[in-house]
Amino acid sequence: MLSRTAQGLYWMSRYVERAENNARLLDAGRRIEGLPGAEAAGNTEWPSIIIAAGCRETFGEERLDEADRDSATFHLAFDPENSSSILSCFAAARENARAMRGAVTSEVWTAINGTWSELRKLDMKAVDERRYADFIESVLGASFHFRGAINATLLRDERLWFIELGKHIERADATARMLDVKYHVLLPKTDEVGAGLDLLQWQQILRAANALRAFRHVYREQVSAPRVVDLLVVNSQSPRSLRYTYEAICDNIDNIGVHTKAQRAVADHAREIRDRLRVADAHDIIDFGLHEWLTDMIMETNKLANALGESYGFFSQVDRDAADEEVEDSSKLETCTQ
Amino acid sequence: MVAYYDEMKDRAGIKPAYADVARWAEETSSDELRQRQSEAEGLFRRNGITFAVYGEGGDPERLIPFDLMPRVFCAKEWDVIERGSIQRARALNAFLNDVYGKREFIKAGKIPARLVEGNPAYEPIMQGIKPVGEIFSHIIGVDLVRTGPDEFNVLEDNCRTPSGISYVLQNREVMQRIMPGMFRSGQIRPVDHYGDMLAAAMQSVAPDDCDGRPTLAILTPGHFNSAYFEHSFLADIMGIELVEGQDLFVENDMLFMRTIRGPERIHVLYRRIDDAFLDPEAFREDSMLGVPGLMRAYKAGGVTIVNAPGAGVADDKATYVYVPEMIRFFLGEEPILPNVETWQCADESEFKYVMDNLPELVVKEVHGSGGYGMLIGPKSTKEEIAKFAELIRKNPANYIAQPTLALSTVPSLVNEGLAPRHVDLRPFVISGKGKTDLIPGGLTRVALREGSLVVNSSQGGGVKDTWVLRGERL
Repeated sequence: MLSRTAQGLYWMSRYVERAENNARLLDAGRRIEGLPGAEAAGNTEWPSIIIAAGCRETFGEERLDEADRDSATFHLAFDPENSSSILSCFAAARENARAMRGAVTSEVWTAINGTWSELRKLDMKAVDERRYADFIESVLGASFHFRGAINATLLRDERLWFIELGKHIERADATARMLDVKYHVLLPKTDEVGAGLDLLQWQQILRAANALRAFRHVYREQVSAPRVVDLLVVNSQSPRSLRYTYEAICDNIDNIGVHTKAQRAVADHAREIRDRLRVADAHDIIDFGLHEWLTDMIMETNKLANALGESYGFFSQVDRDAADEEVEDSSKLETCTQ
Repeated sequence: MVAYYDEMKDRAGIKPAYADVARWAEETSSDELRQRQSEAEGLFRRNGITFAVYGEGGDPERLIPFDLMPRVFCAKEWDVIERGSIQRARALNAFLNDVYGKREFIKAGKIPARLVEGNPAYEPIMQGIKPVGEIFSHIIGVDLVRTGPDEFNVLEDNCRTPSGISYVLQNREVMQRIMPGMFRSGQIRPVDHYGDMLAAAMQSVAPDDCDGRPTLAILTPGHFNSAYFEHSFLADIMGIELVEGQDLFVENDMLFMRTIRGPERIHVLYRRIDDAFLDPEAFREDSMLGVPGLMRAYKAGGVTIVNAPGAGVADDKATYVYVPEMIRFFLGEEPILPNVETWQCADESEFKYVMDNLPELVVKEVHGSGGYGMLIGPKSTKEEIAKFAELIRKNPANYIAQPTLALSTVPSLVNEGLAPRHVDLRPFVISGKGKTDLIPGGLTRVALREGSLVVNSSQGGGVKDTWVLRGERL
């Protein structure tokens, strides 16, 4: 397969996953905003959502503190200037699909083209308070439709493995960011309220990750930070956990096949991260510092993604090279005070 | 009033080849005809078949209208078209070999040297090159018109990168779904082996150092190109890679594509980009579409380019006049398909004739295409003619003139029902090493506007399926 084809399929898939994760982040923002006491803490959820989406720079550092639902939603959902907005993601995914039209089935093409032509008709009216959740659902639904078409119609060959690889790399990045949202959301000073709100916020993160029910099913106990970290990092069955995505990344690379020295190095790197996740423990991670641990994870994933693209002959992206910016972005997270 | 030749009917009534089609059209209500028509259009739209025909401008996402009524040739008619097109393709390739080789045709005084060397499509870099199998133009589209039962004329040759073949195959695909009954008798000769035929021809001209099965690829300018659908369609039916310039590189005078397994050598490249963009080292420096060093590799015999650069010198309207002579000179045969009588305005006496008879003539630009920049005398006002006469006077060498042809008609489905509309035909002749062949069929373009003689899609033209029968009837 041509490297360019592999690259197009990989990015098509990453962009759809990114759109889905942006929708999940907005959902988390909406849910945390509605919690009692959020106001007292100064509604820091929206800046934190923007940081988690890796859009701090495109949004504008100087106005980050003033971010509210409208400005954050516009930037992450519709802003054409933001190459990571949901609309931009679907436009880029469609452009990649169009260029690779011969490599995907008409069902996959129709799914993505249909979503794009619906989305571009929308504006902020589509996300007024009453319809906000509907909008989130429609974006998730579009992503599910796309994945379903891929699952149901594509041959199980290299093309599928690159699509899967794109999804899992993006998801590994997104899950780490989603967990990190909590780091930036301030809690009110009063300890009593703070403790309760803390748990509620974790609950909302789980909800946005489609994992609240799974949590109850797996742990049968109250939500707590170590358990959430366990479910979204260590658990091997949770489809958005880092452990699961890295198992999948390794499988995808094995299926694609390793043909060169550089590709072998990438495969080894992925396995090394996976092996670390296999023995990871949620309490250890929290003791180490969740934010620091996640920042490290995000950087490792980016390094892996860059080396992967290079080893399979991807060209440098004409538009935003997401990986580079994100690495820069995560290092800046350190300076954020809680 | 000119009498146009109706391909379906002659004095004795409906011709046997059309009997079943005519009966079907008769028995089907106009509502159902329209219903089938929109069904067909739906199929085209769903498949994303939107593109312009070679040399035409316009909206690249436009659907070319598809006319449900097929055009039918019986075996006897097709025999003439087939032999004539193959003969023409052989002569054109012989001419190209001669132009870039010994120049005997020029030396014999058969064509003025200025028409060759002064031709913008002439590529000096090709001088002295002998392509594998001595084929320059592996795919030639021969544009034919008909004016009577046995009167076929060649209107134009297309030796560069003629397009439209995907329409031929898709038209058939759609017709088999819309009118399955017609195909039951097995009398309509299939066209779907085009991909195999082209792939075999491409393999036959692989570089000499290729041992094993040659790797083929199609070079496209990319998905923004108006003919992108056709490029991906061809890659698909041949099962070969569709590559862009950025996928390719030249090393040790060989061409490689970048794959996830590392570089893979390409032996034969069917390029669908113009000469000027092929190689920034040899042609336009600013080309982002081509491959630096491609011509170096080509000249060293490391890769075969289909069609060869510089093939366009054989197909413009000034060279056209000399093709019958090429057939006699190179093949020692009489032309099976004659040219249309043509006056060259560059010639003083012919210029005078043209200027005196403008209201009866069709005048075209030598390098023009797409039905633009032409004058159709009988359909023009006095003012239009006077204006065009001025243009010719300013630059006579840029124009040729032909009599206004009474193009044959085939019934077409238009708003008012079935009505005769003018058509032409583009068969695609494929040349490989020692073999020149074509599929039984071609692109029939139809001028859907009443009275119009211009079949180009940019001027309201559409397409029809073209049926070639095994015998005389369905």
